Amino acid sequence: MNRLAAAVWLSALLAVDARAAAHGVYQEFVRKSSGRPVDCAMCHTHSNGPEGTAAGQIGGLSSEELSRLGRARSAFEPGANVDSPILNDFGDLILQRVGKKRVLELRSAPGRLVEELGVASDLDADGLSDAREYLEGTHPLIASDGDPWSLFCHSVKREWFRLVMITAATLITLYGLSNLLRGFAVRVRAKESAEEGAGS
Amino acid sequence: MKLEEIAGRTFEFARERFPVAKLNAESMLTKKVVPVHRMSWAYYLGGLALFFFLVQVVTGLMLLFYYQPTVSDAHASVEYITQHVSGGALVRNLHAWSSSAMILTVIVHVLTTFAMKAFAKPREITWVTGVFLAMLVFGFGFTGYLLPWNQIAVNATKVGLQSIEAVGQYLPGEMATWPTFVRETIQGEAAVGQATLSRFYALHVILLPFLVAGLLGVHLFQVQIHGMSCGVDVERVGTEKFFPFFVIKDLSVWGVAFLVLFVLGLCLPFESFFAYPLMEPYDPLGSTPEGIKPEWYFFFVYYPLELLPYWAVMLGMTAGTLGLLLSPWILQNASRRTLRAIAIAAATYLVVITLFGQSIYEVLKGVSP
Repeated sequence: MNRLAAAVWLSALLAVDARAAAHGVYQEFVRKSSGRPVDCAMCHTHSNGPEGTAAGQIGGLSSEELSRLGRARSAFEPGANVDSPILNDFGDLILQRVGKKRVLELRSAPGRLVEELGVASDLDADGLSDAREYLEGTHPLIASDGDPWSLFCHSVKREWFRLVMITAATLITLYGLSNLLRGFAVRVRAKESAEEGAGS
Repeated sequence: MKLEEIAGRTFEFARERFPVAKLNAESMLTKKVVPVHRMSWAYYLGGLALFFFLVQVVTGLMLLFYYQPTVSDAHASVEYITQHVSGGALVRNLHAWSSSAMILTVIVHVLTTFAMKAFAKPREITWVTGVFLAMLVFGFGFTGYLLPWNQIAVNATKVGLQSIEAVGQYLPGEMATWPTFVRETIQGEAAVGQATLSRFYALHVILLPFLVAGLLGVHLFQVQIHGMSCGVDVERVGTEKFFPFFVIKDLSVWGVAFLVLFVLGLCLPFESFFAYPLMEPYDPLGSTPEGIKPEWYFFFVYYPLELLPYWAVMLGMTAGTLGLLLSPWILQNASRRTLRAIAIAAATYLVVITLFGQSIYEVLKGVSP
């Protein structure tokens, strides 16, 4: 019970500081670097950010979620297992990789988050690293969101077997249909010739 | 003009457009020939549009099994289709890509048919039904856009409906209220909501398909009974047999189109061309996100509306639509050279406004990108 109370107290304390610690600076950086409109849903559960009473916002959290929030907010160093109720998987990943302390420090140079995240992680498996998606303003958790050409190239590599099979199936079908139609045409011509012959 | 004379002319008109003597398999299939010349490629566009329409029907039916036309569940059901239904993402992507492909093909088909003067007697009915079909295709685009109930869908639909109401300010007296009535009838309630979604859904999956099926029947019947128009001013052009040679080539075009569509459907999500906040569920209490625009095929009217006085755009669009519908009578004496010039000018406008509309808007309005 004491731990729960401490977590709620800590969360409340951090929530008071939430505006000051808001990470709108990252959003602004992405908006400028990519030229694309982005919102809080890139890292947060709710697209309007953590403040409010809806699901995924601080005011709407249950006591269990509040304690999870407290644990996530105390993940100051990298490597902690983060499962914040107000962050999505990408938000959790940032805290795991970088740590809360560094996230706060990087507010003065939000572009450096790309290097800190590295290129290994690709949460939505769309072939574009999460760091790159962050830089390009596309969503790291939505596989259909990303640079179209890069998505296309990645998908062609991944789906090459299906593409080969569908090409073969289409060509074979066309070949069969063409021959079938030619066969019908020959038959019609033969019938016409026979009728003409009988008429003359 | 006497009643008898009117009846006689009407009968003569109908007799020439529906020649009973040609209603047999020989005329419409085995002995039918297709002209061969430098514009012959345009003869495949109608069939191609039909192919994309059939893809729309098949993929649309598949989507119907899971789609929920309610404001609370529409977006979630689309997400479910994309993420959890086996092959759902492919089917939805095929539906999105083929809708754009169908509209593009229809536009090119209308332009080439116009340039070839294929609307000339006795093909007026083919032309008029074709123009109505083109309008219905745009209607499919407008009504289908709302169904995923995401930010861009609802906000773009709101803009579209508001533009209907704006016509009222240019109409006299009681007529000024008619556009509001039309908007409210389409919308179904005071704001875009459940009634609007239900109506758009009914239009998209029931009414428009029925109308298309009926008009398409008349259109194809007319094409088969009158054959392809010569299309060029050359006195003697070669011909090839419709069956089997043209049919085989037509099917080959369908095969290539299917392959291209499949590759796109499998490898390139249509949504990747939109910023993700636009794909989020519509929030009636939230602010309108940046970048709300209609689909690319409405840019030809969207950017002029942003840049020019409303009345000028409406006047232009009304004149253009009426001009298209009445082409067989207004332009019956125009040469193919003139028609080709008009078609090229229209195509240039469409390409420029679709590809560079945003840049033109930013330059003219002094908005930084």
